[in-house]
Amino acid sequence: MTTHRLLARQIRQATDESGKVDLTRLGELVSAAYEESDRDRRRTDRAIKLMIEELEQTHRRAEQDLLRAREFLDSIIENIPIAVFAKDAKDSRYVLLNRAGEEYYGMPREEMLGKTPEQIFPKEIARVVSEQDRRVVDSGTPMFQEGHLLEVGVNGHDRLVNSRKLLVCDSNGAPQYVVGVIEDVTERITNEARISHLAHHDALTDLPNRSAFNAALDERLERAQEASTSFAVLSLDLDRFKEVNDVFGHPVGDMLLRAAADRLAAEADGTFVARIGGDEFMILMPEQARREEALTLGERLVEVIGKELEVDDYLSQVGVSVGIAVYPDDGVDAATLLANADSALYRAKREGRGRVCFFESEMDQELRDRRLLQHDLRHALEQNQLLVYFQPQARMDGEVIGFEALLRWKHPTRGFVPPDRFIPLAEENGLIIQIGEWVLREACREAASWPRPLQVAVNLSPIQFQAGDLERSIHQILLETGLAPTRLEVEITEGVLIGDFTRALNLLRRLKALGIRIAMDDFGTGYSSLSYLQSFPFDKIKIDRSFISNLEATPQSAEIVRAVLSLAHALNIPVVAEGVETEAQRAFLEQEACEEMQGYLVGRPDLIERYLDLIGVAVVRRLYA
Amino acid sequence: MHIQYLHWNAAHGWRGANAPREPAQLVLYFGNREGLAGGARYRELRDRYPDSHVIGCSTGGQIHGDDISDDEVVAVALRFARTRVRVVNEVIESREGSRACGVRLARQASAADLAGLFVLSDGLSVNGGELLAGITEVLGSDLHVTGGLAGDGTQFEQTLVGADGEPAPNRVAAIGFYGEAFRFAHGCAGGWDVFGPRRKVTKSEGPVVIELDGEPPLDLYTRYLGDEEAAAMPGSGLAFPLRIHDEAEPHRQIVRSVFAVDRDAGTLTFAADIPQGCTAQLMRANFDSLAAGAGEAGRQARSALADGIEGDKLAILVSCTGRRRVMGQRTQDELDAVAAELGDDVVRIGFYSYGEIAPPSASGRCELHNQTMTVTVIAEAAA
Repeated sequence: MTTHRLLARQIRQATDESGKVDLTRLGELVSAAYEESDRDRRRTDRAIKLMIEELEQTHRRAEQDLLRAREFLDSIIENIPIAVFAKDAKDSRYVLLNRAGEEYYGMPREEMLGKTPEQIFPKEIARVVSEQDRRVVDSGTPMFQEGHLLEVGVNGHDRLVNSRKLLVCDSNGAPQYVVGVIEDVTERITNEARISHLAHHDALTDLPNRSAFNAALDERLERAQEASTSFAVLSLDLDRFKEVNDVFGHPVGDMLLRAAADRLAAEADGTFVARIGGDEFMILMPEQARREEALTLGERLVEVIGKELEVDDYLSQVGVSVGIAVYPDDGVDAATLLANADSALYRAKREGRGRVCFFESEMDQELRDRRLLQHDLRHALEQNQLLVYFQPQARMDGEVIGFEALLRWKHPTRGFVPPDRFIPLAEENGLIIQIGEWVLREACREAASWPRPLQVAVNLSPIQFQAGDLERSIHQILLETGLAPTRLEVEITEGVLIGDFTRALNLLRRLKALGIRIAMDDFGTGYSSLSYLQSFPFDKIKIDRSFISNLEATPQSAEIVRAVLSLAHALNIPVVAEGVETEAQRAFLEQEACEEMQGYLVGRPDLIERYLDLIGVAVVRRLYA
Repeated sequence: MHIQYLHWNAAHGWRGANAPREPAQLVLYFGNREGLAGGARYRELRDRYPDSHVIGCSTGGQIHGDDISDDEVVAVALRFARTRVRVVNEVIESREGSRACGVRLARQASAADLAGLFVLSDGLSVNGGELLAGITEVLGSDLHVTGGLAGDGTQFEQTLVGADGEPAPNRVAAIGFYGEAFRFAHGCAGGWDVFGPRRKVTKSEGPVVIELDGEPPLDLYTRYLGDEEAAAMPGSGLAFPLRIHDEAEPHRQIVRSVFAVDRDAGTLTFAADIPQGCTAQLMRANFDSLAAGAGEAGRQARSALADGIEGDKLAILVSCTGRRRVMGQRTQDELDAVAAELGDDVVRIGFYSYGEIAPPSASGRCELHNQTMTVTVIAEAAA
């Protein structure tokens, strides 16, 4: 028997130098060792027992945590608004389905869980579903189908869904579940389509917009270049639309645009019609469309748009002008084609509206000319190229009672530029304000120098009414020149009253209060709205020259002149007839009791030096004064 | 290197070595607090070795060879052939000053040829971790530092350290070994196993743990020890050290044992800082696993010792008081295990401590340990 190491040690410790064992000492040591062992055992037992308790507690806590985590995840999966399912990777049996999934499939989960697709779905669908599952399991790669229609389920087949399936493997990498999510994206796709539509369509007319047109044109150019075909681009602009908008207001204008757009789209069926801004439209004709077809379409459009449009109880008449450019003759790139279609349109407008014009290369020149002219006009005033001509106005018996001041431009190389060419340009770029003021000042200064206190009439542009402080500048000029306000007459057209009617009216009233006389010019053309006559006490009405020159040719003109005269007389407004050139015209007007006249019969517009006798200046005195 | 062993007991006084032929440079001694208090033992050694550095500390039991004694004072006188020895010491006023104290101590010892530092520190009024951080700050982590915290049996009242003076509380001392010939090898192991759930240190301040899993730590120890043994805290608490797991340093093995108890607050003070928020797990051991741990420390030290040694080899064993308390009469087993690994040619001396100082096997940086056996072997290389 081997002695335990500890006992051997204890015996050694209890043995004295002589080799005698002290039994009492040995007993103490052995007893203490037992005690130590007991204590250690008790401590160990206790520790094990406590540890077990603690571990159990920890385990319970962990279980609770796990349960809570599971409940948390379950509730999320259950309430997520996306259908979620899981299937056994081996046999495609459903093992999980959330609430959205039940809605998607249109059946409670009890009818699906534990079953294979074949047990749930019609044969054809089951085959597709199982095949997809197999593919995901075999390849290990996820499957994603975007925006496809529902294949299964009874909850409406018009819904679009994104569906994806992916494989979940266990820790050893063996296929465990096929997990799928199915998301209803109908709203999103509809929204995307709507946004895309909005991005490429004009909100008012629902026609394609400028960017859509540009894209279509680019595409068409590419195709035409490849196939060496031709096509036409039509640029359209509604005539007199601005006036409608001004007179009747934007809501009516918008309705008119919609109606016009509908007509355009209906008539130009088979082409690409776009609204590119304001009252401008573009049409892209199909490939291989010949010039004649473009012209025919243009003319048809002029005709249908020209027909009266009934808009919200208003009867409105607008027209359309059309410019046509043809690829490749009139340009091989988008910018050139569009610019040339625009110059053709501009020409159509200028030639009297309601017309269809093809682009011609000289139009290009015209457009350049126009820009050059505009450029020259800016310098005309400072380089003293502008002149004021005076044309006498007389009573029917020939007595001159005043002059109308008329602006002329004597260009150093072009010679005299017709007013109807440069005044619209000046109105376009706002120069008319400066020029108009200059004319007014010149006319007043001149008139103030006349010995005879004759009237002087000056034309005011609508632009002068809209911008700048017209009242102040007239007042200033009268003070500067010393002309009595009662000798000044301003001629305005309806254009002044169209637009901000109230503002224009107030301004006219204030001018009249200064003593200035106000004449309505070009009466009989445009709208000639009688309401204008009613709303403001004009001092004079000027009948447009077009009626006078036709007096002898068309009986209607005479009737119109009569009607105007009788209306004016009823309102106690004197009338001036413009463009009186013959004695016969004068005689007719006198007979009809027209008060005054103006025209070649009385005198042409000319420098005032030509009429010194009429203003009461002796020629000699004037020359040597 | 030449070693002389001597020991003292009340019956016979000093016994052992004859008068040395050549004077020793260093005398190292360990004894219980009662034995060292008053300074008589120091003065006797000083008389015997007037020209030597004399350094020692109080313990929780003295080790010499295979024996453990509580009453004897054990000592070795060392004469080096080619190694220079210096002894430095510092007074530590408060635990908070531990790091600064370590810095001062290391600055005194620092020299270009410093080859090893053996530290003996007060065991109760020092934050051992901070002390070592201060030393490492000055000397760098490459220098090997070993040693231990002085003990006071299982009383935890007062520990003494003396370096060329009478042993006194609040002292930190160190022996610096200088020169190329000096050889320094060490090992450190515990043999404890974690058990039970991981717990969170929910509240702590420095070395004081206020809450473990929201509960006063004293309650936990009382449950595990039972009321009877819990009355003997902190000594009985040594049976269940704490394994500290710091997320910031996941590979660092830190074992801490209880040093003081505040029964009113229910808090426990450990040998070094325990960061709030870290994870702690109780540890326990049996006789065999502790002995095996000690054997492992011996094996590490032996295998780290270079060949080509000339003269005697001294192993200084610093083992934890907690181990002795758990093992009782079986404590001898761990000394046997160390001896078996070191071999017969190594002289063994040492003590049971309140903390062991050595770089752990995993990292080179020296650390304060609890509940380990650390073995430091010093020797000189052949010329």
